[in-house]
Amino acid sequence: MIAVLDEAHAPDAKPRPAVDLRDVSKVYANGRQALAEVDLTIPAGDFVFLVGPSGAGKSTLIRLLLRDELPTTGLIRVGSYEVSAMRSRDVPRLRRHIGTVFQDFKLLPRKTVRENVAFALEVTGSPRRLVSTAVDRVLELVGLTAQAEQRPAQLSGGEQQRTAIARAMVHQPRVFIADEPTGNLDPLISWEIIRLLLHINDLGTTVLMATHNAEVVTALRKRVVALDEGRVVRDAVGGYHGSH
Amino acid sequence: MIGFLAFAARRAAEGLWRNRVMSLAATITMVLMLVLLASLMIILSGMQAGLALIESRVEMRAELFDGVAQERVEELTRQLTALPEVAQVSYVSKDEALRRFRAQLAAGGHEDLTEVVGANPLPAQLVVRLRDPKSFGSVRQTLASPAGVVSRIVDQQSSVDRLVSITSWLRVVGLIIIALVGLTVLLIVVNSIRMAVMSRSDEIEIMRLVGASDAFVRWPLIFEGVIIGALGALVTLGLLSLAAGPISQLAGIIAVDLPVASGGRLATDLILVISGVGVMLGGLGAWISVRAYLGSPQAR
Repeated sequence: MIAVLDEAHAPDAKPRPAVDLRDVSKVYANGRQALAEVDLTIPAGDFVFLVGPSGAGKSTLIRLLLRDELPTTGLIRVGSYEVSAMRSRDVPRLRRHIGTVFQDFKLLPRKTVRENVAFALEVTGSPRRLVSTAVDRVLELVGLTAQAEQRPAQLSGGEQQRTAIARAMVHQPRVFIADEPTGNLDPLISWEIIRLLLHINDLGTTVLMATHNAEVVTALRKRVVALDEGRVVRDAVGGYHGSH
Repeated sequence: MIGFLAFAARRAAEGLWRNRVMSLAATITMVLMLVLLASLMIILSGMQAGLALIESRVEMRAELFDGVAQERVEELTRQLTALPEVAQVSYVSKDEALRRFRAQLAAGGHEDLTEVVGANPLPAQLVVRLRDPKSFGSVRQTLASPAGVVSRIVDQQSSVDRLVSITSWLRVVGLIIIALVGLTVLLIVVNSIRMAVMSRSDEIEIMRLVGASDAFVRWPLIFEGVIIGALGALVTLGLLSLAAGPISQLAGIIAVDLPVASGGRLATDLILVISGVGVMLGGLGAWISVRAYLGSPQAR
Protein backbone atom coordinates (compact mmCIF):
# COMPACT_ATOMS: atom_id res chain seq x y z
CA MET A 1 0.00 0.00 0.00
CA ILE A 2 2.81 2.39 0.91
CA ALA A 3 4.57 1.46 -2.29
CA VAL A 4 1.45 2.38 -4.24
CA LEU A 5 1.21 5.74 -2.51
CA ASP A 6 4.84 6.49 -3.21
CA GLU A 7 4.62 5.50 -6.85
CA ALA A 8 3.99 9.02 -8.02
CA HIS A 9 7.15 10.27 -6.33
CA ALA A 10 9.44 7.52 -7.56
CA PRO A 11 11.89 8.85 -10.17
CA ASP A 12 10.86 6.52 -12.98
CA ALA A 13 7.14 6.31 -12.09
CA LYS A 14 4.53 6.90 -14.75
CA PRO A 15 2.18 9.82 -13.97
CA ARG A 16 -1.11 8.82 -12.40
CA PRO A 17 -3.79 8.15 -15.05
CA ALA A 18 -6.72 10.56 -15.24
CA VAL A 19 -9.23 7.70 -15.29
CA ASP A 20 -8.64 4.10 -14.32
CA LEU A 21 -11.19 1.28 -14.33
CA ARG A 22 -10.23 -2.22 -13.22
CA ASP A 23 -12.55 -5.13 -13.89
CA VAL A 24 -15.64 -2.98 -13.44
CA SER A 25 -19.07 -4.59 -13.67
CA LYS A 26 -22.46 -3.09 -13.04
CA VAL A 27 -25.59 -5.15 -12.62
CA TYR A 28 -28.79 -3.24 -11.93
CA ALA A 29 -31.38 -4.34 -9.38
CA ASN A 30 -33.58 -5.65 -12.20
CA GLY A 31 -30.80 -8.03 -13.20
CA ARG A 32 -29.70 -6.16 -16.32
CA GLN A 33 -25.94 -6.21 -16.79
CA ALA A 34 -24.94 -2.74 -17.95
CA LEU A 35 -21.16 -3.19 -17.77
CA ALA A 36 -19.10 -6.38 -17.71
CA GLU A 37 -15.46 -6.63 -16.65
CA VAL A 38 -14.44 -3.28 -18.10
CA ASP A 39 -10.75 -2.36 -17.94
CA LEU A 40 -9.98 1.14 -19.12
CA THR A 41 -7.06 3.44 -18.45
CA ILE A 42 -7.01 6.99 -19.75
CA PRO A 43 -3.67 8.79 -19.26
CA ALA A 44 -3.80 12.40 -18.12
CA GLY A 45 -4.14 14.81 -21.04
CA ASP A 46 -5.72 12.33 -23.47
CA PHE A 47 -8.75 12.85 -25.66
CA VAL A 48 -10.86 9.69 -25.85
CA PHE A 49 -14.08 8.92 -27.69
CA LEU A 50 -16.52 6.51 -26.12
CA VAL A 51 -18.74 4.94 -28.77
CA GLY A 52 -21.28 2.17 -29.08
CA PRO A 53 -24.96 1.60 -29.77
CA SER A 54 -27.65 2.83 -27.39
CA GLY A 55 -27.72 0.66 -24.32
CA ALA A 56 -24.08 -0.38 -24.74
CA GLY A 57 -23.20 1.03 -21.32
CA LYS A 58 -21.77 4.48 -22.17
CA SER A 59 -24.11 6.37 -19.87
CA THR A 60 -23.63 3.84 -17.08
CA LEU A 61 -19.86 4.24 -17.38
CA ILE A 62 -20.22 8.04 -17.08
CA ARG A 63 -22.54 7.71 -14.09
CA LEU A 64 -20.02 5.46 -12.37
CA LEU A 65 -17.20 7.96 -12.99
CA LEU A 66 -19.35 10.73 -11.46
CA ARG A 67 -20.34 8.37 -8.63
CA ASP A 68 -23.94 8.80 -9.50
CA GLU A 69 -23.94 5.04 -9.04
CA LEU A 70 -21.59 2.49 -7.54
CA PRO A 71 -20.14 -0.44 -9.47
CA THR A 72 -21.28 -3.92 -8.51
CA THR A 73 -17.66 -5.07 -8.60
CA GLY A 74 -14.33 -3.56 -9.62
CA LEU A 75 -12.24 -0.49 -8.87
CA ILE A 76 -12.71 2.99 -10.29
CA ARG A 77 -10.21 5.77 -9.85
CA VAL A 78 -10.42 9.33 -11.21
CA GLY A 79 -7.20 11.22 -10.57
CA SER A 80 -6.47 10.68 -6.90
CA TYR A 81 -10.09 9.81 -6.08
CA GLU A 82 -10.93 6.20 -5.30
CA VAL A 83 -14.42 6.59 -6.71
CA SER A 84 -15.63 3.09 -5.90
CA ALA A 85 -14.55 3.32 -2.26
CA MET A 86 -14.88 6.99 -1.32
CA ARG A 87 -17.05 8.37 1.46
CA SER A 88 -20.30 10.03 0.43
CA ARG A 89 -19.25 13.39 1.77
CA ASP A 90 -16.20 13.44 -0.53
CA VAL A 91 -18.39 13.08 -3.63
CA PRO A 92 -18.82 16.85 -4.15
CA ARG A 93 -15.04 17.28 -4.38
CA LEU A 94 -14.88 14.53 -7.00
CA ARG A 95 -17.57 16.30 -9.01
CA ARG A 96 -15.59 19.55 -8.94
CA HIS A 97 -12.62 17.58 -10.25
CA ILE A 98 -14.74 16.47 -13.23
CA GLY A 99 -16.48 18.89 -15.60
CA THR A 100 -19.56 17.41 -17.25
CA VAL A 101 -21.86 18.38 -20.10
CA PHE A 102 -24.85 16.56 -21.55
CA GLN A 103 -26.90 16.44 -24.71
CA ASP A 104 -29.66 18.48 -23.03
CA PHE A 105 -27.38 21.27 -21.69
CA LYS A 106 -29.17 21.39 -18.30
CA LEU A 107 -29.18 25.19 -18.10
CA LEU A 108 -31.46 27.16 -15.77
CA PRO A 109 -33.89 29.06 -18.00
CA ARG A 110 -34.47 31.96 -15.58
CA LYS A 111 -30.79 32.75 -15.22
CA THR A 112 -28.57 34.57 -17.69
CA VAL A 113 -25.47 32.96 -19.19
CA ARG A 114 -23.34 34.68 -16.58
CA GLU A 115 -25.66 33.59 -13.73
CA ASN A 116 -25.78 30.02 -14.98
CA VAL A 117 -22.01 29.82 -14.90
CA ALA A 118 -21.71 31.69 -11.60
CA PHE A 119 -24.28 29.30 -10.08
CA ALA A 120 -21.72 26.47 -10.14
CA LEU A 121 -19.38 28.59 -8.01
CA GLU A 122 -22.02 29.98 -5.67
CA VAL A 123 -23.42 26.56 -4.75
CA THR A 124 -19.95 25.26 -3.98
CA GLY A 125 -19.25 28.11 -1.59
CA SER A 126 -16.81 30.20 -3.64
CA PRO A 127 -16.23 33.65 -2.19
CA ARG A 128 -18.31 36.18 -4.11
CA ARG A 129 -15.40 38.41 -5.01
CA LEU A 130 -13.75 35.51 -6.89
CA VAL A 131 -16.86 34.51 -8.80
CA SER A 132 -16.94 37.44 -11.21
CA THR A 133 -13.36 37.08 -12.47
CA ALA A 134 -13.64 33.29 -12.75
CA VAL A 135 -16.85 33.62 -14.77
CA ASP A 136 -15.31 36.23 -17.09
CA ARG A 137 -12.37 33.92 -17.68
CA VAL A 138 -14.45 30.89 -18.77
CA LEU A 139 -16.88 32.99 -20.82
CA GLU A 140 -13.87 34.24 -22.74
CA LEU A 141 -12.63 30.65 -23.11
CA VAL A 142 -15.90 29.53 -24.74
CA GLY A 143 -16.39 32.80 -26.65
CA LEU A 144 -19.60 33.97 -24.99
CA THR A 145 -18.46 37.26 -23.47
CA ALA A 146 -20.88 39.20 -25.66
CA GLN A 147 -23.85 36.97 -24.74
CA ALA A 148 -23.21 37.03 -20.97
CA GLU A 149 -26.43 38.83 -20.10
CA GLN A 150 -28.73 36.77 -22.32
CA ARG A 151 -30.96 33.96 -21.17
CA PRO A 152 -30.78 30.42 -22.61
CA ALA A 153 -33.96 30.91 -24.65
CA GLN A 154 -32.27 33.77 -26.53
CA LEU A 155 -29.29 31.61 -27.48
CA SER A 156 -28.68 29.12 -30.31
CA GLY A 157 -28.18 25.45 -29.43
CA GLY A 158 -24.44 25.78 -29.91
CA GLU A 159 -24.31 28.81 -27.61
CA GLN A 160 -26.32 26.95 -25.00
CA GLN A 161 -23.89 24.04 -25.09
CA ARG A 162 -20.98 26.48 -24.84
CA THR A 163 -22.64 27.97 -21.75
CA ALA A 164 -22.84 24.46 -20.29
CA ILE A 165 -19.16 23.92 -21.14
CA ALA A 166 -18.26 27.21 -19.46
CA ARG A 167 -20.13 26.12 -16.34
CA ALA A 168 -18.37 22.74 -16.39
CA MET A 169 -14.98 24.45 -16.77
CA VAL A 170 -15.41 27.06 -14.07
CA HIS A 171 -13.98 24.77 -11.37
CA GLN A 172 -10.93 24.14 -13.60
CA PRO A 173 -11.54 20.38 -13.68
CA ARG A 174 -8.73 17.95 -14.55
CA VAL A 175 -11.18 15.66 -16.37
CA PHE A 176 -13.93 16.73 -18.76
CA ILE A 177 -16.75 14.34 -19.60
CA ALA A 178 -19.09 15.14 -22.49
CA ASP A 179 -22.09 12.83 -22.89
CA GLU A 180 -23.40 13.22 -26.46
CA PRO A 181 -22.60 16.96 -26.44
CA THR A 182 -23.51 17.36 -30.11
CA GLY A 183 -26.58 15.11 -30.06
CA ASN A 184 -28.98 18.05 -30.39
CA LEU A 185 -26.88 20.17 -32.72
CA ASP A 186 -26.57 20.40 -36.49
CA PRO A 187 -23.24 19.35 -38.08
CA LEU A 188 -21.73 22.82 -38.45
CA ILE A 189 -22.47 23.77 -34.86
CA SER A 190 -21.26 20.33 -33.75
CA TRP A 191 -17.82 21.06 -35.15
CA GLU A 192 -17.77 24.34 -33.24
CA ILE A 193 -18.30 22.40 -30.00
CA ILE A 194 -15.72 19.74 -30.93
CA ARG A 195 -13.14 22.45 -31.65
CA LEU A 196 -13.86 23.93 -28.23
CA LEU A 197 -13.37 20.52 -26.57
CA LEU A 198 -10.09 20.06 -28.47
CA HIS A 199 -8.98 23.46 -27.23
CA ILE A 200 -9.83 22.51 -23.65
CA ASN A 201 -7.84 19.30 -24.17
CA ASP A 202 -4.89 21.35 -25.48
CA LEU A 203 -4.97 23.34 -22.24
CA GLY A 204 -4.25 20.09 -20.38
CA THR A 205 -7.67 18.73 -19.42
CA THR A 206 -8.34 15.07 -20.11
CA VAL A 207 -11.47 14.74 -22.26
CA LEU A 208 -13.80 11.74 -22.49
CA MET A 209 -16.56 12.20 -25.03
CA ALA A 210 -19.40 9.74 -25.57
CA THR A 211 -20.88 10.17 -29.01
CA HIS A 212 -22.79 8.69 -31.93
CA ASN A 213 -21.24 11.18 -34.31
CA ALA A 214 -19.32 8.88 -36.69
CA GLU A 215 -18.15 11.75 -38.88
CA VAL A 216 -16.39 13.50 -36.01
CA VAL A 217 -14.85 10.31 -34.61
CA THR A 218 -13.54 9.22 -38.01
CA ALA A 219 -12.15 12.63 -38.88
CA LEU A 220 -10.23 13.27 -35.67
CA ARG A 221 -8.16 10.06 -35.41
CA LYS A 222 -8.19 10.05 -31.60
CA ARG A 223 -8.33 7.01 -29.33
CA VAL A 224 -11.73 5.30 -29.63
CA VAL A 225 -13.14 2.96 -26.99
CA ALA A 226 -16.11 0.99 -28.28
CA LEU A 227 -18.62 -0.58 -25.91
CA ASP A 228 -21.16 -3.22 -26.82
CA GLU A 229 -23.47 -4.96 -24.38
CA GLY A 230 -21.43 -3.63 -21.50
CA ARG A 231 -18.05 -4.88 -22.75
CA VAL A 232 -15.11 -3.05 -24.33
CA VAL A 233 -15.11 -4.55 -27.82
CA ARG A 234 -12.47 -2.30 -29.33
CA ASP A 235 -9.85 0.15 -28.03
CA ALA A 236 -7.77 1.69 -30.80
CA VAL A 237 -6.87 4.93 -32.49
CA GLY A 238 -9.23 6.17 -35.20
CA GLY A 239 -12.40 4.83 -36.82
CA TYR A 240 -15.96 4.60 -35.60
CA HIS A 241 -17.26 1.23 -34.35
CA GLY A 242 -14.23 -0.75 -35.60
CA SER A 243 -16.39 -2.90 -37.86
CA HIS A 244 -16.87 -0.02 -40.36
CA MET B 1 -19.85 30.38 7.08
CA ILE B 2 -21.48 33.80 6.82
CA GLY B 3 -21.38 33.45 3.06
CA PHE B 4 -23.10 30.09 3.35
CA LEU B 5 -25.80 31.45 5.65
CA ALA B 6 -26.40 34.39 3.34
CA PHE B 7 -26.62 32.01 0.39
CA ALA B 8 -29.06 29.70 2.19
CA ALA B 9 -31.22 32.58 3.40
CA ARG B 10 -31.29 34.20 -0.05
CA ARG B 11 -32.30 30.98 -1.75
CA ALA B 12 -34.89 30.22 0.94
CA ALA B 13 -36.49 33.63 0.42
CA GLU B 14 -36.43 33.06 -3.36
CA GLY B 15 -38.09 29.69 -2.89
CA LEU B 16 -40.79 31.04 -0.59
CA TRP B 17 -41.62 33.77 -3.06
CA ARG B 18 -41.71 31.35 -5.98
CA ASN B 19 -44.26 29.15 -4.16
CA ARG B 20 -45.96 32.05 -2.44
CA VAL B 21 -49.49 30.60 -2.37
CA MET B 22 -48.33 27.42 -0.70
CA SER B 23 -46.01 29.36 1.63
CA LEU B 24 -48.90 31.62 2.63
CA ALA B 25 -51.19 28.65 3.29
CA ALA B 26 -48.52 27.04 5.43
CA THR B 27 -47.93 30.27 7.35
CA ILE B 28 -51.66 30.83 7.97
CA THR B 29 -52.13 27.28 9.31
CA MET B 30 -49.08 27.81 11.45
CA VAL B 31 -50.65 31.00 12.86
CA LEU B 32 -53.92 29.17 13.55
CA MET B 33 -52.14 26.45 15.46
CA LEU B 34 -49.98 28.89 17.41
CA VAL B 35 -53.02 31.02 18.33
CA LEU B 36 -54.70 27.88 19.69
CA LEU B 37 -51.59 27.05 21.63
CA ALA B 38 -51.36 30.56 23.05
CA SER B 39 -55.06 30.51 24.00
CA LEU B 40 -54.63 27.24 25.83
CA MET B 41 -51.61 28.62 27.65
CA ILE B 42 -53.51 31.75 28.66
CA ILE B 43 -56.64 29.87 29.76
CA LEU B 44 -54.71 27.28 31.70
CA SER B 45 -52.62 29.96 33.29
CA GLY B 46 -55.82 31.79 34.26
CA MET B 47 -57.32 28.65 35.73
CA GLN B 48 -54.12 27.99 37.61
CA ALA B 49 -54.14 31.50 39.01
CA GLY B 50 -57.81 31.10 39.99
CA LEU B 51 -57.07 27.80 41.62
CA ALA B 52 -54.19 29.24 43.58
CA LEU B 53 -56.45 32.07 44.68
CA ILE B 54 -59.15 29.69 45.90
CA GLU B 55 -56.69 27.32 47.46
CA SER B 56 -55.05 30.14 49.40
CA ARG B 57 -58.46 30.78 50.95
CA VAL B 58 -59.24 27.18 51.67
CA GLU B 59 -60.05 26.61 55.26
CA MET B 60 -61.93 24.11 57.35
CA ARG B 61 -64.71 25.26 59.63
CA ALA B 62 -65.70 23.38 62.70
CA GLU B 63 -69.06 24.42 64.06
CA LEU B 64 -69.18 24.12 67.83
CA PHE B 65 -72.02 23.03 70.08
CA ASP B 66 -73.64 25.90 71.95
CA GLY B 67 -72.44 26.27 75.50
CA VAL B 68 -69.18 24.33 75.22
CA ALA B 69 -66.80 25.32 77.99
CA GLN B 70 -64.25 27.92 76.87
CA GLU B 71 -61.30 25.88 78.20
CA ARG B 72 -62.31 22.85 76.10
CA VAL B 73 -62.32 25.07 73.01
CA GLU B 74 -58.92 26.51 73.96
CA GLU B 75 -57.56 22.98 74.52
CA LEU B 76 -58.75 21.93 71.05
CA THR B 77 -57.24 25.07 69.53
CA ARG B 78 -53.88 24.24 71.14
CA GLN B 79 -54.02 20.69 69.79
CA LEU B 80 -54.83 21.94 66.29
CA THR B 81 -52.13 24.59 66.28
CA ALA B 82 -49.60 21.94 67.22
CA LEU B 83 -50.37 19.93 64.07
CA PRO B 84 -47.72 20.44 61.31
CA GLU B 85 -50.31 20.87 58.51
CA VAL B 86 -52.16 23.69 60.26
CA ALA B 87 -51.18 27.27 59.47
CA GLN B 88 -53.58 29.13 61.71
CA VAL B 89 -56.57 28.52 63.94
CA SER B 90 -58.99 31.30 64.76
CA TYR B 91 -62.09 31.38 66.94
CA VAL B 92 -65.29 33.00 65.71
CA SER B 93 -67.85 33.61 68.43
CA LYS B 94 -71.61 33.30 67.89
CA ASP B 95 -71.95 37.11 67.76
CA GLU B 96 -69.08 37.46 65.31
CA ALA B 97 -70.59 34.72 63.13
CA LEU B 98 -73.91 36.54 63.04
CA ARG B 99 -72.23 39.86 62.25
CA ARG B 100 -70.34 38.27 59.31
CA PHE B 101 -73.48 36.58 58.06
CA ARG B 102 -75.35 39.88 58.08
CA ALA B 103 -72.52 41.60 56.27
CA GLN B 104 -72.52 38.84 53.64
CA LEU B 105 -76.27 39.20 53.13
CA ALA B 106 -75.99 42.97 52.85
CA ALA B 107 -73.16 42.66 50.32
CA GLY B 108 -75.34 40.28 48.29
CA GLY B 109 -78.23 42.78 48.45
CA HIS B 110 -80.45 40.40 50.38
CA GLU B 111 -82.94 41.31 53.04
CA ASP B 112 -81.76 40.71 56.57
CA LEU B 113 -83.98 37.91 57.78
CA THR B 114 -82.05 37.36 60.98
CA GLU B 115 -84.12 40.12 62.59
CA VAL B 116 -87.14 37.86 62.38
CA VAL B 117 -85.49 35.12 64.38
CA GLY B 118 -85.31 36.17 68.00
CA ALA B 119 -82.17 34.30 69.06
CA ASN B 120 -78.86 33.97 67.25
CA PRO B 121 -79.13 30.68 65.32
CA LEU B 122 -75.51 30.57 64.28
CA PRO B 123 -72.96 28.41 66.10
CA ALA B 124 -69.55 29.55 67.25
CA GLN B 125 -66.79 28.27 64.95
CA LEU B 126 -63.15 27.31 64.81
CA VAL B 127 -61.64 28.31 61.46
CA VAL B 128 -58.61 26.19 60.58
CA ARG B 129 -56.36 27.44 57.79
CA LEU B 130 -54.15 24.75 56.30
CA ARG B 131 -50.57 25.13 55.07
CA ASP B 132 -51.30 22.93 52.05
CA PRO B 133 -54.98 22.77 51.07
CA LYS B 134 -54.54 19.26 49.75
CA SER B 135 -53.20 17.71 52.95
CA PHE B 136 -55.63 17.51 55.80
CA GLY B 137 -53.52 15.07 57.76
CA SER B 138 -55.15 14.42 61.09
CA VAL B 139 -57.01 17.76 61.29
CA ARG B 140 -60.40 16.18 60.78
CA GLN B 141 -59.62 13.46 63.33
CA THR B 142 -58.37 15.96 65.88
CA LEU B 143 -61.49 18.08 65.47
CA ALA B 144 -63.76 15.07 65.99
CA SER B 145 -61.91 13.51 68.90
CA PRO B 146 -63.17 15.45 71.95
CA ALA B 147 -66.78 14.43 72.51
CA GLY B 148 -69.38 17.17 72.56
CA VAL B 149 -67.28 20.04 71.21
CA VAL B 150 -67.57 20.05 67.41
CA SER B 151 -71.02 19.55 65.96
CA ARG B 152 -70.20 19.68 62.24
CA ILE B 153 -67.12 20.01 59.99
CA VAL B 154 -67.46 22.07 56.80
CA ASP B 155 -64.75 22.21 54.15
CA GLN B 156 -64.46 23.44 50.55
CA GLN B 157 -62.45 20.52 49.35
CA SER B 158 -65.10 19.35 46.90
CA SER B 159 -65.16 22.65 45.02
CA VAL B 160 -61.35 22.69 44.83
CA ASP B 161 -61.39 19.12 43.55
CA ARG B 162 -63.87 20.08 40.87
CA LEU B 163 -61.74 23.00 39.68
CA VAL B 164 -58.61 20.84 39.67
CA SER B 165 -60.36 18.22 37.57
CA ILE B 166 -61.69 20.85 35.12
CA THR B 167 -58.19 22.28 34.75
CA SER B 168 -56.55 18.92 34.10
CA TRP B 169 -59.35 17.92 31.74
CA LEU B 170 -58.94 21.18 29.83
CA ARG B 171 -55.22 20.63 29.69
CA VAL B 172 -55.63 17.14 28.19
CA VAL B 173 -58.29 18.14 25.67
CA GLY B 174 -56.38 21.28 24.75
CA LEU B 175 -53.16 19.38 24.23
CA ILE B 176 -54.92 16.79 22.06
CA ILE B 177 -56.44 19.53 19.90
CA ILE B 178 -53.10 21.28 19.63
CA ALA B 179 -51.35 18.01 18.79
CA LEU B 180 -53.84 17.40 15.97
CA VAL B 181 -53.53 20.92 14.61
CA GLY B 182 -49.76 20.65 15.03
CA LEU B 183 -49.76 17.47 12.97
CA THR B 184 -51.76 19.25 10.27
CA VAL B 185 -49.29 22.12 10.29
CA LEU B 186 -46.44 19.64 10.00
CA LEU B 187 -48.05 17.95 7.00
CA ILE B 188 -48.69 21.29 5.32
CA VAL B 189 -45.09 22.38 5.86
CA VAL B 190 -43.88 19.00 4.56
CA ASN B 191 -46.03 19.48 1.47
CA SER B 192 -44.94 23.07 1.01
CA ILE B 193 -41.27 22.07 1.07
CA ARG B 194 -42.02 19.12 -1.21
CA MET B 195 -43.35 21.64 -3.74
CA ALA B 196 -40.18 23.67 -3.28
CA VAL B 197 -38.06 20.56 -3.88
CA MET B 198 -40.02 19.70 -7.01
CA SER B 199 -40.06 23.21 -8.40
CA ARG B 200 -36.28 23.36 -8.18
CA SER B 201 -35.47 19.76 -9.03
CA ASP B 202 -33.56 21.01 -12.08
CA GLU B 203 -31.45 23.30 -9.93
CA ILE B 204 -30.83 20.54 -7.40
CA GLU B 205 -29.70 18.19 -10.17
CA ILE B 206 -27.26 20.81 -11.43
CA MET B 207 -26.04 21.58 -7.93
CA ARG B 208 -25.16 17.95 -7.39
CA LEU B 209 -23.58 17.73 -10.82
CA VAL B 210 -21.24 20.66 -10.26
CA GLY B 211 -20.20 19.41 -6.84
CA ALA B 212 -22.32 21.37 -4.37
CA SER B 213 -22.02 19.80 -0.95
CA ASP B 214 -25.12 18.44 0.68
CA ALA B 215 -25.43 21.39 3.04
CA PHE B 216 -25.87 23.76 0.08
CA VAL B 217 -28.65 21.60 -1.30
CA ARG B 218 -30.50 20.95 1.96
CA TRP B 219 -30.15 23.97 4.21
CA PRO B 220 -31.93 26.50 1.98
CA LEU B 221 -34.95 24.17 1.97
CA ILE B 222 -34.82 23.70 5.73
CA PHE B 223 -34.51 27.48 6.08
CA GLU B 224 -37.76 27.79 4.12
CA GLY B 225 -39.54 25.75 6.79
CA VAL B 226 -37.89 27.71 9.57
CA ILE B 227 -38.92 31.01 7.96
CA ILE B 228 -42.55 29.78 7.68
CA GLY B 229 -42.44 28.92 11.38
CA ALA B 230 -40.83 32.21 12.36
CA LEU B 231 -43.31 34.23 10.28
CA GLY B 232 -46.20 32.31 11.84
CA ALA B 233 -44.84 32.99 15.32
CA LEU B 234 -44.34 36.67 14.51
CA VAL B 235 -47.92 37.10 13.26
CA THR B 236 -49.28 35.18 16.26
CA LEU B 237 -47.33 37.30 18.74
CA GLY B 238 -48.50 40.41 16.92
CA LEU B 239 -52.12 39.31 17.30
CA LEU B 240 -51.51 38.48 20.95
CA SER B 241 -49.98 41.85 21.73
CA LEU B 242 -53.12 43.46 20.29
CA ALA B 243 -55.27 41.19 22.46
CA ALA B 244 -53.16 41.49 25.62
CA GLY B 245 -55.01 44.58 26.95
CA PRO B 246 -58.54 43.11 26.71
CA ILE B 247 -57.34 39.76 28.09
CA SER B 248 -55.80 41.41 31.14
CA GLN B 249 -58.97 43.42 31.71
CA LEU B 250 -61.10 40.30 31.49
CA ALA B 251 -58.83 38.49 33.88
CA GLY B 252 -58.98 41.46 36.23
CA ILE B 253 -62.79 41.23 36.29
CA ILE B 254 -62.67 37.65 37.51
CA ALA B 255 -60.13 38.70 40.11
CA VAL B 256 -57.25 36.84 38.53
CA ASP B 257 -53.89 38.41 37.91
CA LEU B 258 -52.77 37.32 34.42
CA PRO B 259 -49.31 38.66 33.59
CA VAL B 260 -50.10 38.63 29.86
CA ALA B 261 -49.10 42.22 29.12
CA SER B 262 -45.57 42.91 27.94
CA GLY B 263 -42.94 42.25 30.55
CA GLY B 264 -45.15 39.84 32.46
CA ARG B 265 -44.02 36.31 33.18
CA LEU B 266 -46.77 34.80 31.01
CA ALA B 267 -45.85 37.18 28.19
CA THR B 268 -42.22 36.00 28.31
CA ASP B 269 -43.34 32.37 28.38
CA LEU B 270 -45.65 32.97 25.43
CA ILE B 271 -42.93 34.62 23.36
CA LEU B 272 -40.52 31.77 24.05
CA VAL B 273 -43.02 28.95 23.53
CA ILE B 274 -44.70 30.41 20.44
CA SER B 275 -41.44 31.27 18.67
CA GLY B 276 -39.85 27.98 19.72
CA VAL B 277 -42.77 25.83 18.63
CA GLY B 278 -43.18 27.73 15.36
CA VAL B 279 -39.54 27.56 14.34
CA MET B 280 -39.15 23.95 15.44
CA LEU B 281 -42.30 22.78 13.70
CA GLY B 282 -41.31 24.59 10.49
CA GLY B 283 -37.78 23.21 10.61
CA LEU B 284 -38.97 19.70 11.43
CA GLY B 285 -41.51 19.69 8.60
CA ALA B 286 -38.86 20.87 6.14
CA TRP B 287 -36.37 18.34 7.44
CA ILE B 288 -38.86 15.48 7.02
CA SER B 289 -39.66 16.67 3.52
CA VAL B 290 -36.01 17.07 2.49
CA ARG B 291 -35.28 13.63 3.88
CA ALA B 292 -38.23 12.07 2.08
CA TYR B 293 -37.85 13.79 -1.28
CA LEU B 294 -34.08 14.23 -1.56
CA GLY B 295 -33.15 10.93 0.07
CA SER B 296 -30.63 10.47 2.82
CA PRO B 297 -27.53 12.67 2.55
CA GLN B 298 -25.63 12.01 -0.66
CA ALA B 299 -27.92 9.28 -1.87
CA ARG B 300 -26.65 9.98 -5.37
